[in-house]
Amino acid sequence: MSLKIGSSIDMSELPFPVALVDHRFEIKEHSEVFYGYFGFLGSDRLPNNLEDLIGRIPDSLMGIKRKKSLLKNPISEFVSYVSRKGELRWHKLVLYPDVSRSGYFLYFEDVTQKKIAFDLSVQAAHTAKIGSWEVDLVNNKIYWSDMTKEIHEVPKDYTPDLEGGINFYKKGEHRERIMELVSDTIENGGSFDEEFVIVTAKGNEKWVRSIGSTEIVNGKATRLFGVFQDIDQSKRASIKYQVLTDRMRVAVESSNIGIWDYDIVNNVLVWDDNMYDLYQVNKEDFSGEVEAWESTIHPDDRERSLQAVQEAIEGKKQFNTEFRIKTSDGSVRHIHGLGKVFRDEKENAIRMVGANTDVSRIKKADNRLRQLLNTTEKQNQSLLNFAHIVSHNLRSNSSNLSMLTGMLLENTNPEKQQRFLEMIRISSDRLDETVVQLNEVIKIQSDPNINLQWVHVKGTLTEVLESINAHVEEISPNIDIQIEENLKIYGVKPYISSIFLNLLTNSLKYRKPKIKLSIVVEAYEKDGDATISFKDNGRGIDMERHGDKLFGMYKTFHGNKDAKGIGLFISKNQMDAMKAEIEVMSEVDQGATFVLRFPNPKQTKA
Amino acid sequence: MKTKKVFLVDDDFIFREAAEVLITSSGLTDEVLHFENGLEAYNRLVELSETPEHLPEIMLLDINMPVMNGWELLEELRQVKSVVRDSIQIHILTSSIAPEDLNLSKEYEFIDGYITKPLTRADLKKLSRSTVAEE
Repeated sequence: MSLKIGSSIDMSELPFPVALVDHRFEIKEHSEVFYGYFGFLGSDRLPNNLEDLIGRIPDSLMGIKRKKSLLKNPISEFVSYVSRKGELRWHKLVLYPDVSRSGYFLYFEDVTQKKIAFDLSVQAAHTAKIGSWEVDLVNNKIYWSDMTKEIHEVPKDYTPDLEGGINFYKKGEHRERIMELVSDTIENGGSFDEEFVIVTAKGNEKWVRSIGSTEIVNGKATRLFGVFQDIDQSKRASIKYQVLTDRMRVAVESSNIGIWDYDIVNNVLVWDDNMYDLYQVNKEDFSGEVEAWESTIHPDDRERSLQAVQEAIEGKKQFNTEFRIKTSDGSVRHIHGLGKVFRDEKENAIRMVGANTDVSRIKKADNRLRQLLNTTEKQNQSLLNFAHIVSHNLRSNSSNLSMLTGMLLENTNPEKQQRFLEMIRISSDRLDETVVQLNEVIKIQSDPNINLQWVHVKGTLTEVLESINAHVEEISPNIDIQIEENLKIYGVKPYISSIFLNLLTNSLKYRKPKIKLSIVVEAYEKDGDATISFKDNGRGIDMERHGDKLFGMYKTFHGNKDAKGIGLFISKNQMDAMKAEIEVMSEVDQGATFVLRFPNPKQTKA
Repeated sequence: MKTKKVFLVDDDFIFREAAEVLITSSGLTDEVLHFENGLEAYNRLVELSETPEHLPEIMLLDINMPVMNGWELLEELRQVKSVVRDSIQIHILTSSIAPEDLNLSKEYEFIDGYITKPLTRADLKKLSRSTVAEE
């Protein structure tokens, strides 16, 4: 038997699942596709009751079962059941009461996909901490979703109002801004999407994103609605990142740090703006290949720097090196380079990122510091020497005087008294000589304005030789002078004369007995630096034993009675004062060679 | 009591001459041998180490001297026969008042005293007493 719906439609012919059930949910009639919709085949035993078909009937529908009379209005409910294929399906079930048939038309709509989508959206909203809100401007009612309440840290039964809602926004710019936006949106329509700080019911400050929109009816806003998202974590991280980025940017900009990024595989080198400033290179002129960087490196540092890059790529060492570059204007800069190598999953180096810092000023300061340290060390050495002179020469002579005067007073023998007086005179002379020498040393060391000038080397040497002519003639050495006629050195004339005199008289004094003394004086200039050497065939010096104290005060090395141990000390001080160097090479019985080096004054000044 | 032999090692001939007068007049000894530097004294001590009875009883040793200074001589003495160190009272006699010299002298266990110049009769009396005590 087939049932007609209305007057003309046969239910069995309907192309969707529809059935007629009584109040016990017994299936009385159904469309042909009805059971097929639930996966039943024609040969299957078909259930007669809705409960057998879909399982448990929702509680909201169970009232029908107990009520014999039909409901007046349709009723709908979502139901889930496990299909014959084992799948969980969701349906919207609608029951239409039909008084004429004393039953209900039952209609099914498969909403499984919609349900899945809805569940996902709920889950996403929960995960993303997104809540919704709505203001009914007509009835002045406010709705907050559970998540919106959770974000505000209020209980689920909290009833918001518009003013209360606004008051959650942090007092000041945030509250003023949301009031402005709400007011403007209500007045003019449109929407807003901004970030604010709220203070929750528990007093916690929280960053939120508030999106709002209006519904306009007859030109008037009737509803304001939107979503509310807790973005506190990400916002704070973002602020922190921004602060760090700003600091980094300020640090990078102010400290002259250039950042580079080298794509090893494709040989592409990218520089930031600071790098171009650092290297004094125009962006347009930079090819973006590593060779462009190579060409800027100082030739003396190039091989070492490339080696450092290679070793970093090979994973042998971190790239952390210093090198010099030559800028386009020819100036030299000291660069400190740091870099990190990035590798693919097979450990192949694919990229290198790093920073370059101009450390020229640090280098310069470092050099100055070293010079200062050097000077301080020299001054300390001088102080030690002064301590030595006071302790040794002054005290030894003064103690001699003390002893001798005591003995003079005790002894009445005129002969002995005469001898003591003679010894007192010698000690007194020595004391005087020591004071004179001390004065000379102090003069050299404390004169800040020594008069540096160009001094003719050969002329000065000739003058010195003439001054000791009698002594030279007495010993009659072979003196070989190999000095360019016009060679000049930049120094202090009296110091240079004094040094020449000291070295020549040392050669005369420490000659080997029975061997004719030979002295060779050579002088030449190379790259603006002048070198003068005094070579003799005398007794020489045991350098292993005395090398470190050769230029110390009152150091003598031959046991010679004439040796005072002051000459080389004064010469060394004079050379230091002229920023020149003195060096000695010698072996016992093989003579000695003293080398004086006067640097190019142009380079010294720079 | 004038049986002692004194080695006076100092590069200053004025001091040596004055010290000798003082030593002999104090009655410590009549035999003062002069050495201008450490090396001269060392060579003589090595010679005498074969006949220890001829070693000096006292050596007055200056520190700052050319060729071989007092410290260098002391280092060399560490290497010679122990009889040399054991037989001689070694006293540093120097014009140095630097504390580091005094401290350094304490590192030599065979040094018996440290005298700061000028040498006085009081110093020599102490020396005389200490040598008598040893005998």
